[in-house]
Amino acid sequence: MGFFNFLIYLAIMMGIYGILSLSLNLQYGFTGLANFGQVGFFCLGAYITTIITLAFGMPFILGLFGSMAIAGLFGYIIAIPTADLREDYWAIVTLASAEIVRMFFLNEDWVVGGGVYRGGAFGVGGIPQPFKSHFSAQAYPFFYFAIVLVCLLAAYLIINKLTRSPFGRVLKSIREGEDRLAQAMGKDVKGFRLKTMAVGGMFGGLAGCLWAHYYGFISPNQFLPLETFIVWAMVIVGGKGNNRGSVFGAVIIIIFYHSTRYLKDYIPIEEVTLASLRMVAIGILIVIVMLFMKEGIIKEKKPIYSMVPNSDHVKGNRPL
Amino acid sequence: MLRVIDLYKSFGGIQALAGVSFDVERGSITGLIGPNGSGKSTCFNVISGFYAKDSGEIYFQGKRIENLEPFQIARLGIGRTFQIAEAPEKMTVMENLLLAPKAQTGESIFNVFFRSSRIKQETEEHLKKIVSILKLVQLYDLRNEYAGNLSGGQRKLLSLARILLFDPYLILLDEPTAGVNPTLINDLMVAIKRLRDERGKTILLVEHNMRVISRICDKVIVLDSGIKIAEGTPREIQNNEKVLEAYLSGSSKKQLFHEDTGS
Repeated sequence: MGFFNFLIYLAIMMGIYGILSLSLNLQYGFTGLANFGQVGFFCLGAYITTIITLAFGMPFILGLFGSMAIAGLFGYIIAIPTADLREDYWAIVTLASAEIVRMFFLNEDWVVGGGVYRGGAFGVGGIPQPFKSHFSAQAYPFFYFAIVLVCLLAAYLIINKLTRSPFGRVLKSIREGEDRLAQAMGKDVKGFRLKTMAVGGMFGGLAGCLWAHYYGFISPNQFLPLETFIVWAMVIVGGKGNNRGSVFGAVIIIIFYHSTRYLKDYIPIEEVTLASLRMVAIGILIVIVMLFMKEGIIKEKKPIYSMVPNSDHVKGNRPL
Repeated sequence: MLRVIDLYKSFGGIQALAGVSFDVERGSITGLIGPNGSGKSTCFNVISGFYAKDSGEIYFQGKRIENLEPFQIARLGIGRTFQIAEAPEKMTVMENLLLAPKAQTGESIFNVFFRSSRIKQETEEHLKKIVSILKLVQLYDLRNEYAGNLSGGQRKLLSLARILLFDPYLILLDEPTAGVNPTLINDLMVAIKRLRDERGKTILLVEHNMRVISRICDKVIVLDSGIKIAEGTPREIQNNEKVLEAYLSGSSKKQLFHEDTGS
């Protein structure tokens, strides 16, 4: 039973991180925006939904949309002064912005909702789990997994539709370092960057919201920059510029990340040591993938246009 | 159509443009020539908004444009190609071309989700145009190839194809025939002329190939060290002493225009 519960836990984590990785893939994989602050959106989403549902007693669905809206807005705002920066500077700015979010929730220890919500370093517990009373303790994780799966599917479909549209085509041209070209074609490159950060931020916030309601407890030290690194590993290993790859990358990395928990039965190494070794395992995985599959496990798809010469007839597997 | 008045631009100590003024007439093909480093490309970059001018004014169809962003200038109807042809590496030739048409419905997130049928219809129309343009520039068979795998000359052709799809009123071509094979240059010249004759486009081009200049240009503007030293028909320019002096620094006029004999 313990192992089975663990599998459901893994599946939920894969779903939540799958959303985070899809969101980063939209920003980095398709648009070339090196967002090193993905955990900032995650953190913001987790805290916003906690404040909405726990402190103000609003329903889960409001917390979900609220955290998406605020995290999306945050993405838009941090992109305004930085949209013209080069990739390396982007990385610095976004890394810092995620730390700002974490520091904010670490230091703002307001008491809201008659003491149910108390911010600060010790974290917030007792975050309500949606529709918990309708299910038995054994059945609830399955229900929660269903919620996560629906969210993941929605994120996948929305992001996939965007990246395959003319909108996505402009993003790709921005990624290729061809600001000049996109501008010469009348595309508002800065506007596209802002929108991409907003959409990516929204889904980052969604992942944070799902995470908070699953754990029931959040604290600032769960949102360290390391989390961003893990999401990056997912995008790179899975294959940047490919949405399926991002989800697949999340699955692989989550397996690697948690595998050490059961390896202790097979390898004569202490559990504590093994836990520290998991980052090494992910590092080795990245190196191997980079050496043998430069573009990740699932490569970016090349749209194929098959057109018959001398006719207007156009068919084939291609995006809009 | 385009009026440039007293344009100045310097990079550090180098005065790239030192008071350049000229007009481009509607429906004309105007050539911008000059030795390397004379300010031709800088002039293009200032007109299209990629470099901020130091001083001077630029009017396009009566509207001042020198303080606008590049994408705003493009939207007004000035399209350009680049000297070193830009081509998004990991986008296929088709994707490159589908990117070009301006003001596409599907570039708005809202429309992507709520106006799918219109986007589809628009794309079908673009694809029809793309097929004929691809054949014109002989890239049809390479349509599913990544632009990063094309040769320099093919990238030039791709950027020309892109500009045709972008469909601006004024087209700025930065060395459209550099690196393109000689037989194709003839086709390109015909294509550029037809753009003007059949579709009423105005064209301003930087070009080093004198055969191209004298065959298709109505007017030639000659820059040297950031100053306009001459302006006139190709024939007038050929006989201008100042031009020959700046351009050839010693070699004969015949050498410069030796390919012109057939025209």
